[in-house]
Amino acid sequence: MQRSRRKILKAVGGAGAMLAAQPYLSFPAIAQAGPLRIGIIAPKSGIAGTIGECGLRGCQFAVERINAGGGIAGRKIELIVEEETNPKDSIERLRKLVLQDKVDCVQGIISSGVSLAMGPAAEEMKALTIFWDGTTQDGVKETMPNPHYVFRSTDNECEAVMASLLVVKHWKGQFKTVAGINPDYSYGRNNFAAFQALLKKFGVQHEVVAEQWPKVGTTDLTSHVAALKAAKPDLVFSSLLFADLPIFMRTAHGAGLMDGRTKFAFPAAGFQHTALKKSFTPEGMIFGHNTLYFDLPNASALQKQFVQEYESKYKDYPHWEADRAYFAMQVYKAGVEAAYKAKNAWPSQDDVIGAMEGVKIDSLGGPGQMRKDHIADQTFYQGITTHNNRYDFPTLGQIDTMYSDQLQKPPGADFWKWIETAQIKL
Amino acid sequence: MNAFFDLLLGGVFHAAVLFLVAAGLQLVFGVQKIVNLACGSFYALGAYFGVTAVKWAIAAGAAPYLFLPVLIVAGIAIGSIIGPPIEALLRTVYRRDEAFQLLLTFALVLMFQDALRFFFGANPQQLGDTAMVYGTLSAGSVLVPTYNALVIIASVAIAFGLGAFLQRTRFGRILRATAENREMSEAMGVNVRRVYATVFTLGTILGTVGGALVVPTAAASLDMPVELVVEAFAVVVIGGLGSMRGALIGALIVGIMRALAIRYYAELEMLAIYVVVIAVLIARPAGLFGKPVE
Repeated sequence: MQRSRRKILKAVGGAGAMLAAQPYLSFPAIAQAGPLRIGIIAPKSGIAGTIGECGLRGCQFAVERINAGGGIAGRKIELIVEEETNPKDSIERLRKLVLQDKVDCVQGIISSGVSLAMGPAAEEMKALTIFWDGTTQDGVKETMPNPHYVFRSTDNECEAVMASLLVVKHWKGQFKTVAGINPDYSYGRNNFAAFQALLKKFGVQHEVVAEQWPKVGTTDLTSHVAALKAAKPDLVFSSLLFADLPIFMRTAHGAGLMDGRTKFAFPAAGFQHTALKKSFTPEGMIFGHNTLYFDLPNASALQKQFVQEYESKYKDYPHWEADRAYFAMQVYKAGVEAAYKAKNAWPSQDDVIGAMEGVKIDSLGGPGQMRKDHIADQTFYQGITTHNNRYDFPTLGQIDTMYSDQLQKPPGADFWKWIETAQIKL
Repeated sequence: MNAFFDLLLGGVFHAAVLFLVAAGLQLVFGVQKIVNLACGSFYALGAYFGVTAVKWAIAAGAAPYLFLPVLIVAGIAIGSIIGPPIEALLRTVYRRDEAFQLLLTFALVLMFQDALRFFFGANPQQLGDTAMVYGTLSAGSVLVPTYNALVIIASVAIAFGLGAFLQRTRFGRILRATAENREMSEAMGVNVRRVYATVFTLGTILGTVGGALVVPTAAASLDMPVELVVEAFAVVVIGGLGSMRGALIGALIVGIMRALAIRYYAELEMLAIYVVVIAVLIARPAGLFGKPVE
């Protein structure tokens, strides 16, 4: 009895040691037969649920097109979708996808809180991972300057930089006092700081008369709006982007803050574009649609087809998360196929990674590429809102387009120093 | 001065909704001696059900301006439906340690969260511009959406109605007697089981109506319960556990402190509220209107 118990303990211990060592074992080489298994980690619930849903639809669209065209280098794609929640649980799901499901690539992640924690875990597991919208920056400081397995989206500050440039371009000389209402985490704080830094760079004299930092998930913004109204700003800059944005818009409209005396810039309004109804969302605001503006007049045939299918299938209009998901899938496809072509045999994971560095693709929203430092470059859309359209929500009357090499810091640069020294064209 | 009124109205609007949920919490604790963590879930349920009911009503051809009565009826209906079975579940822990009661009501919070996700989906639900059909009230440059004013009036009316019900009706007196001494009330022939079921359902209805009323200006989301419970408990501690008057004054203090903090020190919103909570706990541990434990 004693001996058998020892045996069992040994077996359990051995299994435990193997499990503990698994993260350090090599990520399996890409299998050469059967479908390519791609793990997706995206939020399907909570405050980012709608965003994750849109991303999943963009991903599905990409997979359907790729599979219909014969797959990636002849192999069809099979998706395994997991839920993105908090960092700890999301990393557990990454571990499950890599070790149990043995996926060839992991894509997804919207929350920067999750991607910041998941980046090092993916590197440790040697898992090729492409973040849709999550960053590896702590604030604006890169925490993974030389990643090998992790690729990520453009800097989160891109939309704030572009909206700030449009404020200068369209409204310089028309405002003296500014206020901010931004989400109370690093994204909101960095965006408002970047806005002020860019006003300073372009010599726009201004005074900040109010700063509001509602917590993510706040659903009563009456007092925040009263505080903004009391400060009487000429311009309000807000990077609210979740369900709190339509609430803010309605509350501000009801309180008379949108009577025409105050200008508004919303760099991330595109996430909520269909919820911002014309009845409480005036014309003449700066709206950011990030890397996909669904109603772009000169959009590519690809975007037009996607928007049309999206509208008929979901009775809705897509936002940029669909583009980020599509972009991630196409970058992976381009990498695998380039590596396959170069080797004339099925490539290893490192071959794919090498081929993805610098690869250029056409995404839903326009041209993009994956920089050699594993950070995406994409096309951004913002502009001034109009009611002159067939929808019940505002679209862009005047559209500005910028490529992100004008909006994000170059490899290795410090964000604040880059803002000071960058040669940015208005 | 106008800015002050704007701030005050913002704070009072928040307090009006907070009062309804805190009143439900107080009522249940006052009579049944149960700290019901699930009050925030009832609030969220009311919000989701309110959105659904208004969408149904409008799709069925109801005039948009009827959405307020639809919301109130929806809140009362869903509260009346879920109150009795949950009270029946809570009967199993009435005579057990408070820790069991807290664990059970916390389990309800988690179960409601999943049930809401299952029935209504994960995405926050909103009513768009529905609340705007009532227009805006103005006095100088102070503008208040008429709907917000109606919610404040409704809450005040409910507060006075509840007070009158508890103080001036026969059933109110029975409730107060049961709250004072359950065994004595039973000995006097009071059907305590019925009293508990009624009180709990009433407390649930206050929460669901609160959620239904707030949703045109906010959104029904899965984060609602936690967001509100944190403030509702501050109201209860400030006002005094079990006191309806305490719920009213506590909600006003929390609502106005929150509005002032947001205006002057936006980052200190929750800190400002809990400074008051700590001050009350030190100076008057039973709360402003609570009875000290003998």
